[in-house]
Amino acid sequence: MVFLGPALLLYLLFVAYPFLSSLRYSLYNWNGVGPLQDFIGLQNYTYTLFSQDFSPFFWRAVAHNLYFFLLSMILTTLIGLTLAYLLMTINERRSRWFQTIYFLPMVVPPIVIAYLWSMYLEPDSGTIPVLLDSLHLQSLNVPFLGSTTLALPTIAVLQAWAGMGFPILVFVAALINVPGELLDAARVDGAGRWRTFFSIIFPIIKPTYYTILTLNFVGAFGAFDLIYIMEGTQAGPNYATDVVGTLFYRTAFGGFGTTAQGMGLATALAVLGFIIVMIASAILVNLQRRAVVQL
Amino acid sequence: MQAKRPWLAYGLLVIWALIVLGPLIDMLLLSFKDLAGIVSNPLGLPTQWNFSNYAQAWTQGDLLVYLINTAIVSVVSVVAILLFSSMAAYVIARFHFPGNQFIYLFFLSGLALPIQMIAVPLFILMRDLGLVDNLLSVILIYVGSGMSFSVFLLVNFIRHIPLDLEEAALLDGASHFQIYWRIVLPLIRPSLGTVGLLNFITAWNGFFFPLILLSDPNQMTVAVGVLSFVGQYATEWNLLLPALIIVTLPTVVVFIIASRQFIRNMTAGAIKL
Repeated sequence: MVFLGPALLLYLLFVAYPFLSSLRYSLYNWNGVGPLQDFIGLQNYTYTLFSQDFSPFFWRAVAHNLYFFLLSMILTTLIGLTLAYLLMTINERRSRWFQTIYFLPMVVPPIVIAYLWSMYLEPDSGTIPVLLDSLHLQSLNVPFLGSTTLALPTIAVLQAWAGMGFPILVFVAALINVPGELLDAARVDGAGRWRTFFSIIFPIIKPTYYTILTLNFVGAFGAFDLIYIMEGTQAGPNYATDVVGTLFYRTAFGGFGTTAQGMGLATALAVLGFIIVMIASAILVNLQRRAVVQL
Repeated sequence: MQAKRPWLAYGLLVIWALIVLGPLIDMLLLSFKDLAGIVSNPLGLPTQWNFSNYAQAWTQGDLLVYLINTAIVSVVSVVAILLFSSMAAYVIARFHFPGNQFIYLFFLSGLALPIQMIAVPLFILMRDLGLVDNLLSVILIYVGSGMSFSVFLLVNFIRHIPLDLEEAALLDGASHFQIYWRIVLPLIRPSLGTVGLLNFITAWNGFFFPLILLSDPNQMTVAVGVLSFVGQYATEWNLLLPALIIVTLPTVVVFIIASRQFIRNMTAGAIKL
């Protein structure tokens, strides 16, 4: 029991207790100072979900988070899974080298990734516009981060670029466990590469795939760092990159572009975001359990 | 699995390696150029290597302060997480008592918790404890929230160790503490490395909590320190790039030292997902 003590105590104080406090604060009209006394029931929730002033912000942010998730899922599937599969076909020592390289951007601080790419994407003088010009692709020289349609996908792609190392490692770990006899049997039966992948390999690693989807979902709904650094508290241009994380930050701590502020309201917003993540995780974990194959 | 056309596999793997490494290497090269060179000729080797960029960035920003603060936060957090989570994992994996599974799931549930969910109460808590602008606030948060993932990984590792050694030690009259310290810890050392590295990266790169809790320049970590540095030297990339390189180096160096073991551990099923 003495052994469990410190871990349990710190976890209770700095995770469990704040979690319960959030649920409580969300029922009050409170700006963070003075006693909690203006109990308003579920009004923070109805204001977030249905009010004319605030709910459009909330739903737009949720839509942006979902967009973030979909794009990262597509990229993780297409690039991450393909690369992991290819890594299995080459010499193990070289494969480890590639895995190390692919993981590298994950250890680079987000602040560095954000500024590096802001510099690259700087209209006209940045590396990407210069590169595009020299390739006579001036039509593609657009303000990526300043455009209301392109800013969000650009940041989502950067996030995927930086975070691809982790799913690749996890996919490789899963692919290693696919029994060789099954693959040999498939070859003997004359199954081609694609057929083998979709009929044997993918079904076996499907639970892992769902786990990565779950982590992607949690990650997409936690998106904040790059957007805040590259587009500011207002998640510009004109809220085009506003996600639950940035809306929450403005609501709790203020800053440029704030429409409604209050600690109570912010926690209600966080609780709603949490409920969305819980529902999605529950569905995905359920799918994952059902996908497990006994070998 | 053997590829019929290995050149195709290598080709695609190398392309992604270039996409990943290219910008990082380019950042390193650019950091030695003068401002005119960065703007007019963003690609290609520097014509002259301006080490003075680094000297200037170092003296004009409070980089040393940020680095020391971040090192304190990261090292203290990682040591505390490793010690406490391995102790807890040992108990959860090895002792069967009522509530054992509940405590394990309780730790696990933190994995799906978005930061926003606990940010406001933590801010209020730290304010009431007088820990705003104190590195301890961020350390305590990292240690508490680092428990979920660390306990989860270490419990799985410990369950995979054969019981024989511990049983033999118990027969020889060793106490549980001795078993934990002399047998379990050395056996899970590679996994402690993995858990330590992941938590080190999280702590070093952490942005949100330093942003809301550390606004005194003397208490800033690199994540927020660089933010204010950029605020001052907006487009002076010849100063910003060296600063970005300097704050990136520690994690990259730690990762490269640990990478062999780390990659092997991860793919050998360190993470059964």
